[in-house]
Amino acid sequence: MQARSENSSFLTQLSRRFSLQGFIFAIVLTFFLTSILFPFYWMVSSSFKTRAEIGGREPVYVPGELRLEAYDELFNPENPSYQQFGTNIRNTILVAVPTAVIAVILAVLGSYAIARLNFRGKNFMVNAILVVYLFPGILLIIPLFAMLARIGDTIGFDVQDNLGVLVFTYLAQTLPVALYMLTNYFRTIPTEIEQAGLIDGCSRMEVIWRITLPLAIPALVSVAIYTLMIAWNEFLYAFVFLNNNDLFTMPIKISTIWNDPSPRPNVVMAASTIMTVPIMVLFLALERYLSEGLSAGGVKG
Amino acid sequence: MAALTEKNGKAAGRRKSWHAQEARLAWTLISPTALIVFGLVLFPAFFSIWISFRDVSLGNLNDVFHAPFVGWDNYRAVFNDFAFKWQGWQSWGAAVTSVVYTFTATTLTVLVGLIASLLLNRPFRGRGLTRAVFLFPYVAPIVSVVFVWRWLLDPRPSGVLNDILMGLGIIDLPQAYLSTRGLALILVIIFEAWRYFPFAMLMILARLQAVDRTLYEAARVDGASNWQQFLHVTLPELRYVMGAIFLLRLMWTFNKFDDIFLLTGGGFGTNVLPVLTYQFSFNQFNFGRGAATAMILLVILVTFMAFYVGIVMRNVEEE
Repeated sequence: MQARSENSSFLTQLSRRFSLQGFIFAIVLTFFLTSILFPFYWMVSSSFKTRAEIGGREPVYVPGELRLEAYDELFNPENPSYQQFGTNIRNTILVAVPTAVIAVILAVLGSYAIARLNFRGKNFMVNAILVVYLFPGILLIIPLFAMLARIGDTIGFDVQDNLGVLVFTYLAQTLPVALYMLTNYFRTIPTEIEQAGLIDGCSRMEVIWRITLPLAIPALVSVAIYTLMIAWNEFLYAFVFLNNNDLFTMPIKISTIWNDPSPRPNVVMAASTIMTVPIMVLFLALERYLSEGLSAGGVKG
Repeated sequence: MAALTEKNGKAAGRRKSWHAQEARLAWTLISPTALIVFGLVLFPAFFSIWISFRDVSLGNLNDVFHAPFVGWDNYRAVFNDFAFKWQGWQSWGAAVTSVVYTFTATTLTVLVGLIASLLLNRPFRGRGLTRAVFLFPYVAPIVSVVFVWRWLLDPRPSGVLNDILMGLGIIDLPQAYLSTRGLALILVIIFEAWRYFPFAMLMILARLQAVDRTLYEAARVDGASNWQQFLHVTLPELRYVMGAIFLLRLMWTFNKFDDIFLLTGGGFGTNVLPVLTYQFSFNQFNFGRGAATAMILLVILVTFMAFYVGIVMRNVEEE
């Protein structure tokens, strides 16, 4: 036993410089980086290829020139197969931004109540809201569809092709997450600061507005980005609720172009690039805040 | 809070009204969220139980509250459906496929996440950037990454995987990866691990960095090799968090619709319960049967979770 441990410590000494372990580490790391980055490289590079390069016998690993043929099809009204992708970008923004803004506002109010105030039924409420994690979106969409169709008939709005309805369903999906994250954050802010405000004669709402919120800005930003991302990427509900080409969000449009009888992966990749880049830029800019939220179970799915 | 209450009102009556006021404020603050969540999640969840016992089609969707009661018919129809039930090794049916897919994909996700977190737990230059890059698959929109994968797996000889494998001489003819039974399921599982390992990685990494350094020092003093340290110090410390990640990912993977629907449309031996629910509801417009499928899915999930939390997690906690 003694001999063995001496042996292994000798090996560790030896391997400090040039080691099998370091070698394996480098190989595994390279493997990870390649398999993560190559698909993204392939997306962006394919978006700059022409139809000829896409349809050739062999894949073109590096496009000869940055050709904007695919982007032209997406945005140029004079292109014979013009895709009106600008409209789809607008629709996505029209859905994602209100979802994020409303979710943050409502979650601030709700999570403040949970974190700071005592009321009967609080535990029940928190648990009921968290149970949402359990329900698959596909389970909810049938009753939601039927229910909203019925209500829409009575009050007089269309359930299908209505971006407002979509925002509502996204709120239901994002609010529990937002509430959970913000409640945790509010709990880390010392109550003494707020009590000082209350003693100075501020009302609760003033305390929230003047003291708690400014302290919670990092959390607010990350919750806003999360809810924005969820609404930005959402596929199933938009797919079921939207039929009109003019109201398609980007994910639905991209899948429509992919399923077009004449395959044009370069156009799909161009649209995907446009949809992905803003998300990745936002993420990289705010990575520090966001990965904390991610590991707190921030994103469902 | 208690101290504040005492300062504010010495008289019990005043304290009471302070409490009542606080409770009223709390309800005001939380009611919009509660309304949306209850109205658009909890009520529909119960409503779908109701729908699963009714005959609801496109014709009576607007008048769903008067849909005719059909008892267990929808459930019976689902259990007898060829897309659902096990018919031998050639055709697994959605129930078995779902379970196999979920368990394999979740296990692989946690394993890859563990390897990635061990990589990133080692100090090296550019670690921060690498960590951010490792999160890419999880952060990028699902639709974009699915179509990039489909484009990489293109069945034509110009597909990247075909080109590479043929170049290496591993295959002679181009393969249609996502439309070959067996291969399609394996690829869908690999896709899941590729996309969701960052979630496991982040949580394991956070736990790894919280492990008491002195445990390693003690192990080193006792002469433990790196591998022994990993086996006897690191892994036991990670058991709880890995159990929790496994449970969460399992639940989400079991419920997941987008990935398989977009990758294979549920064809070629990859049909799972969420996709089957969709097909019943929005291809055949048989909403009752769709709801019944979703309820079966939920029952399987809840049964498993109860078992897992009750037995597996308790054991982990006790140790």
